[in-house]
Formats: sequence, structure tokens, C-alpha cells
Amino acid sequence: MTATETPRIGVYVCHCGINIASRVNVKEVVEFARGLPHVVVASEYKYLCSDPGQELIRADMKEHNLNRIVVASCSPLMHESTFRRVTAEGGQNEFLFQMANIREHVSWVTEDEGEATSKSKALVAGAVRRVAFHEPLTREKVPVNPNVLVVGGGIAGIQAALTMADAGKKVYLVEREPTIGGHMAKFDKTFPTLDCSACILTPKMSMVKSHPNIEMMTLSEVAEVHGYVGNFKVKVKKNPRYIKEDLCVGCLECIESCVYKEAKFPDEYNLGLGKRKPVYIPFPQATPQVVLVDPETCLYLKKGKCKQTCLEACDRKAIDFEQKEEISELDVGAIILATGFKAFDPTNRLPQYGYGFYPEVYTSLEIERLLNSAGPTSGELTTKSGQVPQTVGIVHCVGSRDKKTNVWCSRVCCMYSLKLAHLIEERTGAHVYNFYIDMRTPGKGYEEFYERLLQEGMRPVRGRVAAITDWAMTPEEEGKLVIRVEDTMIGVVRRIPVDMAVLSVGLEPQPDAKEVRRRFNISCSPEGWFLERHPKLAPVSTFTDGVFLAGACQGPKDIPDSVAQAGAAAAEALALIDRGYVEMEPNTAWIEEELCSGCKSCSGQCPYNAIGFDDEKARAMINEALCKGCGTCVATCPSGAARQKLFLDKQIYEEIRGVLSYV
Amino acid sequence: MSERFDRQIKYESDLDLNFAHQIASFPGGERIFDCIQCGTCSGTCPLSVYMEYTPRRIIAMTRAGFKDEVVRSNTIWLCSSCYSCTVECPKEIKLTDIMYAIKRQAIRENIWPKEFKMSPMMTGEFFKLVEKNGRNSEGWLMMNLYMKSMAVGDALKIAGIGMKMFAKKRMSLKTEKIADPAELRKILDAAGSEMELIKEGAKEVVHG
Repeated sequence: MTATETPRIGVYVCHCGINIASRVNVKEVVEFARGLPHVVVASEYKYLCSDPGQELIRADMKEHNLNRIVVASCSPLMHESTFRRVTAEGGQNEFLFQMANIREHVSWVTEDEGEATSKSKALVAGAVRRVAFHEPLTREKVPVNPNVLVVGGGIAGIQAALTMADAGKKVYLVEREPTIGGHMAKFDKTFPTLDCSACILTPKMSMVKSHPNIEMMTLSEVAEVHGYVGNFKVKVKKNPRYIKEDLCVGCLECIESCVYKEAKFPDEYNLGLGKRKPVYIPFPQATPQVVLVDPETCLYLKKGKCKQTCLEACDRKAIDFEQKEEISELDVGAIILATGFKAFDPTNRLPQYGYGFYPEVYTSLEIERLLNSAGPTSGELTTKSGQVPQTVGIVHCVGSRDKKTNVWCSRVCCMYSLKLAHLIEERTGAHVYNFYIDMRTPGKGYEEFYERLLQEGMRPVRGRVAAITDWAMTPEEEGKLVIRVEDTMIGVVRRIPVDMAVLSVGLEPQPDAKEVRRRFNISCSPEGWFLERHPKLAPVSTFTDGVFLAGACQGPKDIPDSVAQAGAAAAEALALIDRGYVEMEPNTAWIEEELCSGCKSCSGQCPYNAIGFDDEKARAMINEALCKGCGTCVATCPSGAARQKLFLDKQIYEEIRGVLSYV
Repeated sequence: MSERFDRQIKYESDLDLNFAHQIASFPGGERIFDCIQCGTCSGTCPLSVYMEYTPRRIIAMTRAGFKDEVVRSNTIWLCSSCYSCTVECPKEIKLTDIMYAIKRQAIRENIWPKEFKMSPMMTGEFFKLVEKNGRNSEGWLMMNLYMKSMAVGDALKIAGIGMKMFAKKRMSLKTEKIADPAELRKILDAAGSEMELIKEGAKEVVHG
């Protein structure tokens, strides 16, 4: 049809089960719609988004020769694309459609049925008058760059990268730390099967390193992201390692020959439980298998004065003290964020547990390192004075389920606490108490693992630990840590002396999650977890097309879930890439040349640098490929020369008139 | 049946299923429904080891309608309002306020253990003074309370301490007063009959 043809409008009001119908008198709205100008047919249906609902619209379009459609239902975010498609299938341009949101904007937020019904009528009136002025539009198709960026080299990032690389896509894997592997590399065993973490993870790390389609970038961070779905331009900042990665073979001679004869600096990888030299490798199976120099502790980098014995020791001449920060630019079509989580740090945040005050209070991550055969004690667990512990208390929910720290359940700490209980008992023979509020074991084989621990004699105490103290009240408590807790199963307050206390810390968003969110232009929940597009039906997509989520950056997750989600994110990214193109929303802006005065007010305001200037004509010009349809220029232009498709003045004014004429 | 075999089962019909809502109607009381029964309050409480029911159990029993047990328990009277539980509660429930809510309900119904009769009496005497003068006068509060609650002989026994306190100016018989008690009267009247109940409740000790 053409824009001049007389509008023949069909109006469809959805019940959405009882979501809308329980507040809004749908019949009345339909009756009202029938009386609006140009409306040929108006009807209702229980679920318009379902196949019979869609068919109702398509059939009406043929029968009544409709050329404009209005659907009053949920939000455009939910189903605008559905009904645009239906409009197209009915034989009209998909943009000859308008949606009225009477669920989120009406039935869910209005108590009174009368008010809800009149508000619905007003919105339908606005939509009907607006749609009469809609014009057919076409979508621009833009090719998709087949390369992918994966941010974060933990298990989720590794899995996503390998999946896409195996499908033949070029993958850039950016990791902030000197090695990939993330938290999983720090664990000794994994629940509930007690698989050795290294045995299942290090082969994957090695595959990442050797895969011809993966470019691994360690000690690197994404600095800037520009562009849009299918065509992102990413700047990656690589921090100096002071080692030429391609020359180093990981012989570790430099470490041996360092002027510091003893390792004396706290080792970050082992949370300070071990010591390292200024030149070091985080752990023996680090990937890449390359050393690094810490500028904070290296004598030469700090003071400029050192015998530089390491330089002599390295016969491959891989050490390079002149290395500087490097910026590289990548072109990618899709981005997968797998930036992971941060373990809750109880220092000064939960003083009643004495972490950082009593030497025998540990976090669970510290115990993971102490139990790890590649850890600082080669897997031997003793107290700081070298004694094998007789009794150990594991405190669940540390920093979790607490309004003063984090309100959420961290989802993994019940299971890893049980795992630690098993490992501690196995290695030391100690009696292990687990202090829990609720035992949450929802996963395949998880409840069975709990049962196994109960059979092994683990001592469960249901109650949230009130305090850990060294204040002894009986001779047996002397020299021990005393855990004070109400045993809520029995209903008494107990004091339980232990040699070691383990705080099962929860999971938090990364401290820089909010900055990362802004950099990638995605949303965050108030806590800082990255927000998925839909919690059930689009769990790995974000509100920014082409940016996907995997692993614990989206919320607390265990290894199986992180891996599953990474696979899902890779599949979504592959679907985008293999389609080959993206269709752009046609709601872009343009400049009416004869009205433009060349004042350049608009170009400075455009957040996407989409507005250029034609010096010859002295007129602004908008690059439609870059325009995101935000409307800033339209509002800025003093002469009304900047205009936007789907948001023309006449469309907006008609919509307002429609709403007001009813009110 | 032999006395050795007490009936332990609790039938729903023995409970007061409205009790939770009664407590919830006091300010702060509604938070009992947020409790996750973690036991932090009881573990933290310096007195829970002396209580018939720990604070956590008091909340569980209140929610379940164990009204008789709750209002007759020594727990609510042992609570010294140190606020440790309130500070530590992961759900930020003001446990101390809930203890007060239950105490008020107990006073309303004239129920408390005999050995704690001083507590509700003091509440009553304190209120009478404040109602009259707008301020508390410690010396008179103590005098009134002991005269009322003790035999004359017993009261005389502790009179020596009182005298010393007067001498050291830790207590005085001067009546503290606000400028315009009549204005306060209006506020109290507007607050309703709750205050009367507290005053009246202090008259007798039912449960022993």
C-alpha cells in the first residue's frame, strides 16, 4: 500500500490469560475501539501471541483488507517483533503496526478496574491515531564480522572460546590475569564427583593455547568498545609482562637466578599463603607457560639498579625490561562476557568471625589452595603452628543471605563446603562440623553427595554461627577457637571448640562490574550482576544485541552451569555470525537539507558520532549505519531539520491527541 | 495414664493461630515473618543459655501460635535489651522490639512468671510518673516500686542502699517535671487506650 491510501485499521486486545483481563474490561475496550476513526475491525483473544491469536490477525487482514494493525497487549520489548512479523505475513509492511502496552503500563500497576479500563482505552486511542500516519519502512542489512571476542579466561570463557573456535570462528580471548583458568584452576577437587579440577581443566587450557583459531591475550583488558552488533571495534590494553611471550619456553631458569635467593613476596595466586620472587609463574600449569616480572617488587624495575642475573640466565633473551603497555584494535561481530565473580572478603566486614585476627580462621578459597597438591603446601593441611587439626568447623553462608553484606544465596557454598569437609576428613582425619542455615543441594548427584557426607560422619549443625572466639570457658576450650551457635534442630546454644575455622565465603560481582557494564553498554542488576535479556527465555543474551553472557558474571553459578551457559552463549553468537548479516532498526534520523541552517548543534550531541558535516553545502549529514535512533539530534535541532523515522512529529502529535481526546 | 507419660503432642486446636498477627500488629512486630530461623540471635544473646526458649524459638513459636508458652516463658523477661541480636540479625529483624511486643501482650493479659513481677510493675510505675510529670524521677520510681512490690520488712532491708544513693546524689527525691504536663496529656489521649492497659496490667500477678 502507499501512505496515501485510506487507513483500514484492525485493533486486537489481548487478555494475556488473566494478566490483563483481571483488571481491564477487555470487552469494553474492544467496543470502544470499534468506534475510533478508520477502525474496520476490533476483537479480543486470550493469548494473541499464540499461533491461533496470530492467525486471527492474519485472517482478518485478508478478509477485511486491513492495512494497519494495533495490538493492545504487553510491552514492545516482549512482543513487538512478533506482531510486526504477523503484520508482514498478513501482506503489509511490518512498520504499519503499533503496540499499546496495557499490561506493564496498566493492568500490573493499576488497582481499580474502572481506571485500568479507561487508561487502556486512552492508550488504544493514541495507538490507533498514530498508526494511521505510519509509513512503510525497510530495514538495512549490515554484514556481520565473523570474529568473536571472549572477555575472561575462566572455565566459562574457555568453554565459549573453544566451542566457537571449533566451529571455525576466529576468537580473541582476553584475560586480565597472567594465566587463564580462573577460579577453577585454584580448586583441588570439584563437587559432587570429586573430579580432580586440574585433570579436567588443564587440558582445556592447553587446547586454548594451541588452537589455531584462538588468539589468547593475557594480562590484557578491554579498554574501549565502539560500534554495534556485527561490527564492534574493540581496543584491548595489554599490560607489560616484561617477558617476550613468544620466546619464553617456561624453563624457569630466570626464577632460579634472580638476585633474591629466597622467595619472599606474598604470592597472589595462593592468596598470600605462599611466597614468590619478583620473576615468577603463578602456578606450574599456568597457561601460557610463561613467567612474568612484577614491577612492584623487581629491583631493576623499581629502582633501576640490579645485577640483572635473570638476563644472563635466559639464553633465549626473552626478558625485556623495556616493554610498555600496548593497545591493539580488534574488529569483532559478537562479544561474550565471561568476567566471573569475586569471592567475598570477610576482612573487617564480619568482625564476629575474627578473620584476619585469629590465624586459624581461613576462607574457603584459602583452604582450596592448602588442599591443592599444586598449592603452597603440596596439599598438606596443618594449622599455622604445623599441627594436624583434630576438629575443623566450616561456616556456611559467610557474607551471603545477610542484609548487611549480600542478600543473595551464593548457590555453591553448601556444596563446596561439603566437598571441603570430605577432603579435610580424608587428608587429616579431623572431625568436621558444617554449620549451615539451610542445606541447599539442588543439582544432579548433589543430594546424594550430602547423604554420602552424612554417612561419612560429617557433623552437621543447623544454625548460623554467631561468633568465633578464642575466649575459653572450659579447660577443653583452652587454645582452641570456639564456635558459638544455636543448634536450631535441638534448640540449645552450643560452644564447639575447633582447631581451624573455615569461612565458606559467598560470591560477589567483580568490583569493577559497573565500569565493565558501561564499557559494553549492557545492564546490571543493582548488586552488580550483569543482566540477562530475559531470566528464562533469553538467559545468555543482553539488552545490547551482539553481547552475550556466560558464567558467574550473570549471577552465582557452579562449574556445570557455567559450562552449559558458555555453550549457550557460543551457540547464540554462532547463530548471529552464521546468519551473515543483521537487520538494523529503521528508526534512524535524517536531516531535511532545506531546513538545516548548518549550526552544528546536533553533531556535538550525537553519542554515536553519526553526524558529519558537508562543508560545501554547509549542512549536517547523518550516517545511517552509525545512527542508533536515540533521537537526541531531533530534540536538539533548533530549526526542526533533524527528523526520525517512526518518530515523526505528526505521528507523535496524533498519538498525544488520541490519548488526550479520550482523557 | 501414668504421670510419667505426659502428652507431648501439640494439636493445632491448642494453638492460637491469631497470635502471630497480634504480635505483628505492634510496630516492628511484622518482621517476625522475615525470620529464616538461622539462630544468630540465640547464638549471640548473652542470656539465651538461661532462657526457657531461645529467641529464635520464640519467633518460631510465635509464628506457629504457641501463645501460652511464649507469653508465660521467662525469655521475654530475661531479655535485657542489649540489642546484640538486633545488630547481628542477617535479616535486620529488630528482635528487641519483638520482645517488647510480646511483653506488652503479656502485660495486657496479666500474665508473667512470678519471679519477674518487678518488670511489669516497673513499667506501670514508670508510666504513671511520666504521665503525670512528663519526666521520670528515679528516686520516686524506686520508692513507689519497692513499697508496692515488697513486704515492709524487705523494703526496709534495702533502704540502706537507697539512703547511700541519696547521700552520693545518685538518686534524688526531687520531682522532675516538664513545663506543661497538660499538653502531654493531650498527646497521650490521642495515643489511645494502650497506655491504660499498661498501667492497669501492673496490678496483679496471675501466673506463678
